[in-house]
Amino acid sequence: MDYPIWDVAMGGGVLMAWVAVTHVIVSHFAIGGGLIIVVTETLAVKRSDPELRELARRSSLVLILVSTVFGAISGVGIWVVAGLISPGAIAALIHNYVWGWAIEWVFFVLEIVAALVYYTTWDKISKGAHLMVGWLYFIGAYFSLVVINGIISFMLTPGGWLNSHAFWDGFFNPTYWPSVVLRTGICILMAVAFMLWSAFKAEADRRSEVVRYLGWWFVGGVVLSYAGYRWWEAALPDTVKALFLGEAPTLASLAATRSFTLWSLTLGLGVTVLALLLAPRLARGLTAVVLMVGAFGFFGGYERLREGTRKPFLIHSHIFSNGLLVSQIDQINNEGLAAHSGWVATGDPAPEAFGRRIFAAQCSSCHTLDGYQSIREVLPTVSDMELVAADDPPGSGAVHYRTQCSACHGEIGYEEMAEMLPSLDEIREDPEFIRELNLGMITMTMIELKEMGAELTAFDRGTTFDMRQLARPYMPPFVGTDEEAEALAVYLASLDSAVAGHAAGGGE
Amino acid sequence: MNTELIPALDAAGLPGPPWLFHFLLVFTFFLHLIFMNLTLGGTLMAFVAHLRGGRRLTDPNTVFAKRLMGVNTYAISLAITTGVAPLLFVQVLYQQYFYSGTILLGWIWFNMLVLLMIGYYAAYLHKKFRGPWLGVSAVTFFGIAMTHVAVHLIHVQPGKWAQFDTSALSVLGDPTYWPRLLHFVLAAITFAALVAAWWAVRRARAGDDIELNTTIAKTAWRWSLWSTVLIMVDGFILLGVLPKPVLLGVMRGGLAILGPLTISILFGVGLLMMLARVSNPVEKPGLVSGTLAALTLTIAVMTVTRHQVRVLYLEPATSQFQASVVPQWGNFILFAVLLVLGLATVFWMVRRVLTSPAEGDEAA
Repeated sequence: MDYPIWDVAMGGGVLMAWVAVTHVIVSHFAIGGGLIIVVTETLAVKRSDPELRELARRSSLVLILVSTVFGAISGVGIWVVAGLISPGAIAALIHNYVWGWAIEWVFFVLEIVAALVYYTTWDKISKGAHLMVGWLYFIGAYFSLVVINGIISFMLTPGGWLNSHAFWDGFFNPTYWPSVVLRTGICILMAVAFMLWSAFKAEADRRSEVVRYLGWWFVGGVVLSYAGYRWWEAALPDTVKALFLGEAPTLASLAATRSFTLWSLTLGLGVTVLALLLAPRLARGLTAVVLMVGAFGFFGGYERLREGTRKPFLIHSHIFSNGLLVSQIDQINNEGLAAHSGWVATGDPAPEAFGRRIFAAQCSSCHTLDGYQSIREVLPTVSDMELVAADDPPGSGAVHYRTQCSACHGEIGYEEMAEMLPSLDEIREDPEFIRELNLGMITMTMIELKEMGAELTAFDRGTTFDMRQLARPYMPPFVGTDEEAEALAVYLASLDSAVAGHAAGGGE
Repeated sequence: MNTELIPALDAAGLPGPPWLFHFLLVFTFFLHLIFMNLTLGGTLMAFVAHLRGGRRLTDPNTVFAKRLMGVNTYAISLAITTGVAPLLFVQVLYQQYFYSGTILLGWIWFNMLVLLMIGYYAAYLHKKFRGPWLGVSAVTFFGIAMTHVAVHLIHVQPGKWAQFDTSALSVLGDPTYWPRLLHFVLAAITFAALVAAWWAVRRARAGDDIELNTTIAKTAWRWSLWSTVLIMVDGFILLGVLPKPVLLGVMRGGLAILGPLTISILFGVGLLMMLARVSNPVEKPGLVSGTLAALTLTIAVMTVTRHQVRVLYLEPATSQFQASVVPQWGNFILFAVLLVLGLATVFWMVRRVLTSPAEGDEAA
């Protein structure tokens, strides 16, 4: 929170999602592809099968183009974006796990060199030497996953690390092994989804056989993925499970994501059994597309669950995604955010401008003004009041109240609120009064968010926090002095007048 | 120095002594420079040679360009791969400055990835279709060099962050920006040209298309010679425009700082003499190999000097922070062992590949 802020209109989280999603798809394909291609070539050599050899050869071009180019660059891209949007958080991760990343880099070097050699030496070196390169490629690629998985899974389930802060306690965390199995399955799914396109180019008399061959790989990938996924769920702490599992999950959207995830895998399995195993002659481009949708859906769903259940932390129960350490909460509340960050302290001292800088430091890693997780959309506005009070057409006021207001006023029903509200004419006559009212509501929310910090610091730091106990389980607390909370409230309240055509708040 | 805008050190501390990370940063950056030089210098020269060769496929310039881009099939990938490690270690040592520098550049820093992607795929497209793609590659790689110099100069000058926050592009007006950029670009050209000359000499000496390879070797040699002349001039300009406290730091740095700098300058002069006394490198294969080895060594020493200059730039800021050290020796040893095993595996693999040529049914 003490770094300068990179203001991204679309939202840093969205940018990160784009870079990360494309990277994980490609990188998992690169690993699974490495396995299937080299096994296929081994079979081709043993059986003197030219069609399998061609499948391996054609697929290796895609492998080289996406793995060594796009995979490598987008992998660096994740660091670049993380450093831009969550510098404090990524610094914490790197200082704990630099040797993990350094080890992964060693395997990455082996992977990339082997990939380049593998692709460029078809028809030029002996079969044995070429197979050796292929297997080394797979070993390099797979072990880079085995290492990086320790860091990724640590972020959600740091386990014993919270107590000991010991490298290996975090690395071999509760979801480490389930994730290894799950990601191994995903690698195979990704690879088959891509390699089918190469299989379709096989000679007509062998095409069905080659397609069926990949079909069996996909089934194996589904089995591993499903087993790994269920193991992963079982290994999650109960407090995390409760967010999306059970009869009354805390986060309904994540529960829906879980259903989507498993149905996507079912779709992939169904298409594989029908179109790749039972009737491979029917397999066409559309089949590959549907299979890709299923595989990507499952993978994307799982990643969404992993990220969603980790919110609002970067490392669960240790550091929030805006870079705030749990251990810093009391200190910043006492000293103020301005004492902690020169970027907040420096500039116009007027409350609105000061609040804007506090918003940038504390909130902008998740919220944009008008894009993803728009802060303006969740703030109370004069127009909200008008719509609720007008109730025109009848019933629309209740709907608007439910969507815009009930998140904070859950204990008050629409009818009750309508009675308390001024009339539509009164609101239009004196909108400033409503803005004052809204400012009060926002200030109250800030205080509530600040009090959440006290609850967080009361948790046992050596265990995974039960975020369900908090009023807003997926938000970091507000940290800072009461004056800073008020300044932030003034800035947020001013966003309504900015829409109304008054002096626009900065930060846009 | 006003440290108000500098973020706090990470609470976790350094997972090893600072000297270890300084060493790893410099060492891995040197590895990165080798392949980065081939990529940047090779692509820029290939672009010029490609233009000079026109549509004549057998023109030595066209072959020269093709050969340079052939090397780049590997060099671009390896430049990225070897770039990961210094990117990691710079974040460990200089997180407060490096992240701030990249954030102040914002989209420009992010777009480096886009440029890299475009440049890389353009290099592949050039091989397949020729056309304008080589120019695209050259421009994007030059853009990446500009970005890196910008982020370097911003991150080492926290006293100017408020100014860069207002306009990140004002870094282009930094007196050291253009000499520093030129220094890197010229060094890249010199290195890539010498590698190309060395390769052409080897092939000519082996009796492979002697006339063509001699022409290519001479062309590449001339590129090396003139870019080295310019580097020497530019190097002294760069030294002269360094901020006064940094320059004084260099001058008063004793053997530790003046030693590497002096060696670099002497090596530069030596390189010039070696390059100038040969007009046909094919006749002096030993000298060509020696020149390439000397240049590689010069780059290694200059990498140390570059790092020392960074330390001097940042000294007023870093002296006000004391990083705690929480060493993870076991993990470091594991990394070191795996690094040795990994590199040994790579060498073994390459060796096995080079000694296993095959054709026809015997080939993979």
